[in-house]
Amino acid sequence: MEMIILLVIVAVLAFWLVAIYNKLVALKNRQENGFSQIEVQLKRRYDLIPNLVETAKAYMAHERETLESVINARNDASAGLAAAAGDPSNGAAIQQLAGAEGILGSAMSRLNVVMEAYPDLKANQNMMQLTEELTSTENKVAFSRQAFNDQVTEYNTYRSSFPPVMVAATFGHPSDAQLLEFEDSAAIQAAPKISF
Amino acid sequence: MNFFQAQDQAKSKTKQLTFLFVAALLSLLIMANLLVAIMLSFENPETNFAQTIARTPPETWFFISLGVGGVVAVASIFKYLSLRGGGKAVAESLGGILIHQNTRNPQERQLLNVVEEMAIAAGLSVPPVYLIRENSINAFAAGFSTNDAVIGINQGTLDLLNREELQGVVAHEFSHILNGDMRINLRLMALLHGILFLGIIGGSFLRGSMFSRSKERGGIIALGIGLLIIGYGGTFFGNIIKAAVSRQREFLADAAAVQFTRSNTGIANALKKIGGHSVGSQIKNAQAEQSSHMFFGAIKPFAANLMSTHPPLEKRIQALDPNWSGKFAATESQPKPSSSAPSSALASGFSGSTGTSTQQTKASQSELLASVGNANLAQAQALIHNSDEGLLSAAHDTFEARALIYAMLVATDPEIAKQQLALIDANAEAGVPPHVHQLLPTVLKIDQEQKLTLLEMAVPSLKELSASQYKRFTGITNQLIVADQQVDIFEWVLHRILTKELYGHFVAPSRSGGNISSLKRLAPELHLLLSVIAAAGIADSQAQTSAFDEGWDLLPINKTKTFTKLEYFDYEAFNHALGKLRDLKPQLKASLMNACIHTALADGTLAQNQFALIKGVGATLDCPLPPLGVNPQ
Repeated sequence: MEMIILLVIVAVLAFWLVAIYNKLVALKNRQENGFSQIEVQLKRRYDLIPNLVETAKAYMAHERETLESVINARNDASAGLAAAAGDPSNGAAIQQLAGAEGILGSAMSRLNVVMEAYPDLKANQNMMQLTEELTSTENKVAFSRQAFNDQVTEYNTYRSSFPPVMVAATFGHPSDAQLLEFEDSAAIQAAPKISF
Repeated sequence: MNFFQAQDQAKSKTKQLTFLFVAALLSLLIMANLLVAIMLSFENPETNFAQTIARTPPETWFFISLGVGGVVAVASIFKYLSLRGGGKAVAESLGGILIHQNTRNPQERQLLNVVEEMAIAAGLSVPPVYLIRENSINAFAAGFSTNDAVIGINQGTLDLLNREELQGVVAHEFSHILNGDMRINLRLMALLHGILFLGIIGGSFLRGSMFSRSKERGGIIALGIGLLIIGYGGTFFGNIIKAAVSRQREFLADAAAVQFTRSNTGIANALKKIGGHSVGSQIKNAQAEQSSHMFFGAIKPFAANLMSTHPPLEKRIQALDPNWSGKFAATESQPKPSSSAPSSALASGFSGSTGTSTQQTKASQSELLASVGNANLAQAQALIHNSDEGLLSAAHDTFEARALIYAMLVATDPEIAKQQLALIDANAEAGVPPHVHQLLPTVLKIDQEQKLTLLEMAVPSLKELSASQYKRFTGITNQLIVADQQVDIFEWVLHRILTKELYGHFVAPSRSGGNISSLKRLAPELHLLLSVIAAAGIADSQAQTSAFDEGWDLLPINKTKTFTKLEYFDYEAFNHALGKLRDLKPQLKASLMNACIHTALADGTLAQNQFALIKGVGATLDCPLPPLGVNPQ
């Protein structure tokens, strides 16, 4: 009799553990999948920026420094993206990408402020198209970032909820995943101060 | 065999299976009891076997049976629960990676196009597609019903097959989705797992006993070995049952693939390439073992025997291509598809559809019914090709797909439209309103059939939303629908399809009971259904009455009912009625769809609203309606 009770307890316990393990893996996979969606949009953004700078160059020869800082920030962010895409569960890589994106964001807003002084450039058909596409891509980045962060939160919440928290570390999920936060709002506000 | 027969057969197959498994379980229990009896008789050598059994209190047998049965039940239920996530849960457990709808990889783009064409051709919403990183040629379909179905494709399939062969493979998988094989498959997985688990426990007892020093050690070892034998023995027989069912469904799916693509070369060549490929269709992932019966080709290099889940390749090829020389095809990498050039299949699809007339004749009504659960590939390709480029790319982008749906809901009445646009500007997600304004002029120009096609294409994009984004999206859609204080037929269909697809994906896959075997009990619901359809596209009340009668007379009910004109489209009552009709048996759904189609076509034309209604009814009742090739008017 004790044997049978033992048997059923072992069965339930084992299943419970398997279920937790599977759920952790599924949530982590979904989160990595979410990152690949951001990657698509960010790559698009990084492809657009050199075109924009190329077009701007013809009009604002005296602003080489601003343009260069945009290109440098873009290259850093692009490298950060490549590193993070290799392993989206690596919190440090995600944070580095977020930092590089923040710098790129402020470089871009500085460029926007400078561009105000060149009405010809702003009226350029090519420039208008690029700016429009860049804005739309940025919206898409924000959107897929929201989806990614939702997935990260779901993973973190599950990982630290009661039964899973006891076994998460043993199952290879030792720490919370990193949210991808760009400090774009702060950067935009700071930008005008730098240009004056 | 038509769609409804296949569904019926799938259902009765499931019953047979359950019966076989119950029988297997009973024999397992007997074996377990025998095992204990033998153990006891060894422990008491002074008594013989019969005496031991006589001396053991009868409760012992009861408890043993309870224990073993309980373990199998618990394990099966757990597995079933873990599969509740539906197709995506299976794909994820196999290491599948979701292919994003806006992918720029030309191979993946081509695959998504092929899947999309096939889905539209079958009248289904486009399922999400997962990529499995294995170099063999294989594919699978998984899910409980059409709304949580996913398709998985191996990398090798993409690398080695051309478009036509890929189309054959995808058509094969769609047949599994349409014929209800997926549900059988998932149940099989759960039951088999329960039995296998006994063996796993036995194994862990054995391992545990290595560290045990207690007196009971011998008993534990014996119990472990016993469980091991029962579990793996049970699994062995379970696998034979599973394989027998699977082999039969594979032939059926191969035949359906030919029917869907109107060509046997694609699928036959794909199979020949599996034969010629060094790794064939093998899957390395250990998780795949449990779902071996879901795949396109056998996942293990077994020759034909009782345990193989797939008929031998040679037999499958011969069934498709009787003139086959017996030589497998050499496999070489396919040239990467160029993303822009229209495929030749598209061009041929075009020429095929030019001869259709807009006037529906009586003779083709039966064709229309026969088309339920079938696929009209040429028509689907034409529909996709005729769609506006901008709208297509919006449907393929998770961000813009929402704008597309909002734009479809904007009314033609300028007053209401203004109100709705204000609502979008105020409440929609950041960056979405400009897209709505940009898409709106084109959306207003297209007809309902095209809108519904775009909706079906947008479904996989919308499934990529996160849970909170999905909530916000449905909130706004609902506000837009009720902005004019009423729900019209198009809004109803759109809401119906969205709810069915997205609720199934984000919350829980829906399942149909399908056990009501008499139409009589549902006479009031049927009356409402036909009345609504009759009134939807016909203005003259005399004609409405005769349209209703034409449909009603086809129903196998002896009651007479007369057409009642309804004041307005009461969507709540309509939904309620459909909710009940969902539980009809497949063959009765066939007469129901037949009656609907006859009512709609009674006056010789198919009105846009009637088309939309039938589409919505079909989607709700899991009777997908492919594109008709007649223009709804």
